[in-house]
Amino acid sequence: MSEKRLELPREYHEAVLHWQRHSFPDYPKLAEVWDRYFPRDEPFCLCAKVADGMSDVIEIGDLIGEPKATKPADLRPEAARILLGQIRAQASTEFGSIQQHTGTFQRASDPQDQAWVLRVMAEELRHGYQMIHLLTSTDWSPVTDTTPADMVEEILSMQTGSHVLAAFNLEFDSFTDNVVFAAFIDRVGKYQLTMQKVSSYAPYATSMPPMLKEEAFHLAAGVVPLRRWVEAAARGDALVGMDAIRKACTKWFCRGLEMFGDDRPDSHGGEDSVRLGLKDMTNRQAQDAYIAEVGQMLDDLNERYVRAKRPDLSRDDAAALYERVKQGRSGEGGVEWTDLLRLPDRRFFRRRGDGAFQMWGFDGERFDDPEKCIAHVASHLPEAYRASVDVRHWADMLRNVHSGEVALKDAIKSMPRLARVGGPCPCSRSVRWVSV
Amino acid sequence: MSEVRIRDLTELDIDGITRVDERITGRYRPEVWEQRVVYYIRRDADAPKVAEQDGTVVGFMLGEVRGGEFGLDEPTGWIEFFGVDPGARGSGVGRRLTEALLDHFRSRGARITRTMVATRDREIDAFLRAMGFKPAPLTALEKPL
Repeated sequence: MSEKRLELPREYHEAVLHWQRHSFPDYPKLAEVWDRYFPRDEPFCLCAKVADGMSDVIEIGDLIGEPKATKPADLRPEAARILLGQIRAQASTEFGSIQQHTGTFQRASDPQDQAWVLRVMAEELRHGYQMIHLLTSTDWSPVTDTTPADMVEEILSMQTGSHVLAAFNLEFDSFTDNVVFAAFIDRVGKYQLTMQKVSSYAPYATSMPPMLKEEAFHLAAGVVPLRRWVEAAARGDALVGMDAIRKACTKWFCRGLEMFGDDRPDSHGGEDSVRLGLKDMTNRQAQDAYIAEVGQMLDDLNERYVRAKRPDLSRDDAAALYERVKQGRSGEGGVEWTDLLRLPDRRFFRRRGDGAFQMWGFDGERFDDPEKCIAHVASHLPEAYRASVDVRHWADMLRNVHSGEVALKDAIKSMPRLARVGGPCPCSRSVRWVSV
Repeated sequence: MSEVRIRDLTELDIDGITRVDERITGRYRPEVWEQRVVYYIRRDADAPKVAEQDGTVVGFMLGEVRGGEFGLDEPTGWIEFFGVDPGARGSGVGRRLTEALLDHFRSRGARITRTMVATRDREIDAFLRAMGFKPAPLTALEKPL
């Protein structure tokens, strides 16, 4: 499948570069390290990429077989509204993740890991650029009164704390977050992009394949360092241990689940998008597949850990030992179950969807005392994260929901706000990102 | 056993490929396959293929389209690494992997595919010939250092 490359009109291109100078100042370093870490790879291009050769008829939903829309006015109003929400949310995640990575990516202990994250950040910038292209290259007036310039302005003004999805409002506490985020949160991104590849809005569908190709590397930039870390942990010479990795996985897994949208079994979340031809899976279906996939990822990491811990064992014997320890929740042959990576129950530490502000334990056990539940949840989270406004807000809301002071639906709508909640460009020479 | 499925490689196949390689060579080399898998994913994530049966990787084929090497200017689909689990051989896994990768090479504009085989690897040589490969008008040269 070949692809076309497109550049934004000058004012929007400049706005993205202006944003990059403020929010991603390390971007120029990518060109400096490119030949060393990505030799022979095509140079990075800050542009929109559009795939050729995709289906031009609707592939799923009520209008299957009809021509795909090429402009928002061609869509049913309901579909156009949902689509615009998808694009804005996607844009928010792309720019938001760069802001998160920026805080800690310099702390990488391995120059290759750092270069990989730098490339991930640049490609997220390109994905944000792609979303801005979608917002500015057509007429959205049938759907919204907001002008393209104002939509872009709103997106570029968001900061960690004011993004659409909770996963993009959490600060990174160390480079462990850069890596675990790539393995868990970029994986949700892969699911969203894959589902949207069938979008009945052709310009959105054709944006997906080039993004997915880049997203595949982002997942590797998370998984491969994790594989090395668990091996080092098994050898006893790790700078990051299994406990820290497991807690970081818990932090991001719980927020990642919420990125699928309303996942309550009886909510029918995402069915409208499927009916309208915008996605090919409901929220719960996609989330089930995601949980299975991250489960496989942790199995692979644990098996790598066991192989490194017991190099005397054959592959089959090491795999059998891992299975016994996992199933028995015990220790054997120097491998402790408590050392291994594992996922919490999908309802654990949730602020939206299935289990939101309910007292579910890590293994699906129920609590009836909010304080005991909060202490239990906190014991499974990274130390630095426990002290954050995010965990504080969740604990306060849990208490308030169970005391009856706050209705569950209001708790679900609430979001912890950081001090930085967005606004105009901080550059003294401009008050807007987009100067039109 | 379910039918073998050919699909694109992902980063979660590192363990499966390492296992197939270990069953073929007797060597456990996860770090080698981590680097190789990341290389092919970042170069062209749609190119490398794996064969999966009942959720387990039973074969893989890694390659990409490049041009300009060895004075060969035309886009060439290079097959660089492949392996089939000994327990899955004889069931068409290698053929299906090759067909999938060659289809991808064609979609990328390549009109020829090339690879190299060590003289001692008679089994691989026979497999590739069965897939339609022929000796190329090229000579592999080497010099000990």
